[in-house]
Amino acid sequence: MQPDPGKCIWVVIAAYNEAGVIARVVAEVRRRGYTVLLIDDGSADATAATAEMVGAVVIRHPVNLGQGAALQTGIEFALHEGADVIVTFDADGQHRVADIDGLIGALAEHDADFALGSRFLGGAVNLPPARRLLLKAATWFTRITSGLSLTDTHNGFRAMTRRGARGIRLRQNRMAHASEFLNQVSASRLKYIEVPVTIEYSAYSLAKGQKLGNSLSILIDLSAESLHR
Amino acid sequence: MIAQLILTILLTSILLYSWIEYRRAPVIGVLSMLAAFSGLYFVWVPDHASWLAALVGIGRGVDLMLYLWVVISLIVLLNLHLKLRAQMEVITVLARELAIANARSAASPK
Repeated sequence: MQPDPGKCIWVVIAAYNEAGVIARVVAEVRRRGYTVLLIDDGSADATAATAEMVGAVVIRHPVNLGQGAALQTGIEFALHEGADVIVTFDADGQHRVADIDGLIGALAEHDADFALGSRFLGGAVNLPPARRLLLKAATWFTRITSGLSLTDTHNGFRAMTRRGARGIRLRQNRMAHASEFLNQVSASRLKYIEVPVTIEYSAYSLAKGQKLGNSLSILIDLSAESLHR
Repeated sequence: MIAQLILTILLTSILLYSWIEYRRAPVIGVLSMLAAFSGLYFVWVPDHASWLAALVGIGRGVDLMLYLWVVISLIVLLNLHLKLRAQMEVITVLARELAIANARSAASPK
């Protein structure tokens, strides 16, 4: 399925030092017919230049701020450019481009404002058992804190309508943004739907991705946010 | 008496600090106020400090005061952490505006 030509769809990719894989990721999404907005989060390598060469619109953060900050920059820019639908997609190649259509299709089919990718409804290839356990615990935690009925959490593969995106304002710069995103989905009271997606873990994406120790940082960040205005 | 006066001045300044912080971080404000009020009370009624210390198994009233001071220091430390976070948010907004403005000026016809 190709993207609806009547819809302005932007795929937002936050990237930090991903020069080795970003050309392939951007090119695959571009081949599918989507506009790619790459937020280079202060990379020290050629991530921005490489992405630009294969057709991405590139925004560069002057310093490294974190994935949450980069996604918020992307959402704001895409909204300003008139995006009807915004998809967030990982830079490390672990998401399948073919699943983008499913997320966008689910928005229209269910008249929802958020389509949240779920690897536990779809597939998680090469997911280490320890990380599976951690994700299950995090999902359980998110269900309690956000009130959303979810099967997956901290999955960066999602799509949102313009109305949904306008309700998102990420203040968590680092990894806690994924929980914050779901809290804001819950607070917006807009309709959400979970969509099966497949995530293929590689040695590269596992090395770049979240570590077990990040869980504590995420909890501290989320607690700190609730302590000040 | 001199020690009591010095501690009173210090704890009163923490009370003022708590009052100022209350608007920005209510939890920090309330915790600091509670700790400072307790400190002031025990400085002027040390017998009660000794009684409470014995009750909770600390031993001496002066030790209780020391622990109270440590608690106040930790609260102030937490508040500093929150202030750093708030500053980071400001830096993020600035960096974002700069990044978006640069992208727009690069895209606009020269």
